[in-house]
Amino acid sequence: MKREDEVVEHVSVIVEDVFDRLKPVLVAVESLLDEVDEVRAEDLDRVRPQVVDALGGLVIGAGYVAAPHVLADQEYGFEWWTATGPKPEQLFISLEPGSANFLDYTRQSWFTVSRDTGRRHVNGPYVDYLCTDEYTLTFTVPAQRNGEFAGVVGADVFVREFEHALQPRLRHLGSRAALVNAQGRVIVSNSARLPTGSLMRDADVPAWWSAGAQARAGVRRCGDAPIVLVT
Amino acid sequence: MGQARSHVFAPLGDLGRAEAVTARLVDAISMGLLADREQLPSEAELAGQFGVATVTVREALVALRQQGLVETRRGRGGGSFVITPSDGSPASWRQSLREVSLSELRDIGDHYLAVAGAAARLAAERSSPEDVERLRLATEDLRKANTAGKGRETRARELAAARAERQFHLEVAAAAQSPRLTHQEIQLQGERGGLLWLPPSANAHEEHRAITEAIAHQDGELARKLTEEHILQAVDRLADMHLDLLEP
Repeated sequence: MKREDEVVEHVSVIVEDVFDRLKPVLVAVESLLDEVDEVRAEDLDRVRPQVVDALGGLVIGAGYVAAPHVLADQEYGFEWWTATGPKPEQLFISLEPGSANFLDYTRQSWFTVSRDTGRRHVNGPYVDYLCTDEYTLTFTVPAQRNGEFAGVVGADVFVREFEHALQPRLRHLGSRAALVNAQGRVIVSNSARLPTGSLMRDADVPAWWSAGAQARAGVRRCGDAPIVLVT
Repeated sequence: MGQARSHVFAPLGDLGRAEAVTARLVDAISMGLLADREQLPSEAELAGQFGVATVTVREALVALRQQGLVETRRGRGGGSFVITPSDGSPASWRQSLREVSLSELRDIGDHYLAVAGAAARLAAERSSPEDVERLRLATEDLRKANTAGKGRETRARELAAARAERQFHLEVAAAAQSPRLTHQEIQLQGERGGLLWLPPSANAHEEHRAITEAIAHQDGELARKLTEEHILQAVDRLADMHLDLLEP
């Protein structure tokens, strides 16, 4: 196998591992939404065991984020846990739209992309100011109730951990290489000239991506994730 | 055990959560979800409901008492009771503005200038179309906050405008792709009870629009310059108002 293909393969394995961790969470969330007539914020406790189980490996945050009005007793709501300390911690943020501290999560790409496409998504890298304030990749899967979008099930991975997992293989490629997202934003590269978070404008990844992301010299898609190896 | 000592031994997971509990209760009180004179559940019950340690709840209650939003009565029939502020605001910003000093204001302004200016320059370099779209939404929020609801209470309009201001600058820092600048932005927004963006400004929406367009056109120097001017004007406004408030 070519070294480039090995990098692509390794990214796909990491991505699939994260999405595999989310499968039981999605099952738990969708059955809760199915079984309970009027799901209230406190009922989200019931998916807590699956959420906490999803933490580990590269996953430092996981949970379910409800679409507006899915809960019977409040407009917004979620069950989200992080594993940045010695034991899992629950995330609390303001959910009152009228409050001074409220931040509307339905504008975040990790929410909108899965909602609008109905498919799983890897969002970022981005500064996750709602949760850990860290540079993050968020993996999301849409959850449904009666065939309708009911929010997302998601997992957070710190970009620095993703970098640790991939950097040795990128270094091994020898020449300049970067893993970027569909907007051409660098997730990790093997060059100081391509810093994390910068846009790699010369490769024009966004245009290539929206034209269907067909195999092309120097640009490879990693599985079905919006992650691209540029060499 | 003294209070400081007991904090030392607070469960690690609870550090920083007192703020979250405080914020939740401030929200509930200022929005009237908790009624004036309503008795709060006991510390132990609150701790159970929030899923935090009792010491965390106690810390939050101290903060609420300091803001005059809760009073604690001892003895039989005692407990913590909600005090809804008469003007609907927790410790009004005019009060905080009277207490601040001009030298402190200038220093907060300088720090903010360094952080937000650098964030704007980097955002122009690094924003994707998605980032620019979020900046436009945040810009629009401010216009809506300023124009909508003329019948609304002034206080509610001021809060909505201040929130839109903070959201906009938070989005710029996030668009810069910098966790550290974002973190600093959040910290600075909280300085002196979020004073900087509280006094309303007639031009703020136009200024945000211009900053957003500079970022969209990848003009980092212009984005920085416009952001610095925007902040300097906010600081000048605060200084003027501070001096007005000192008049007998």
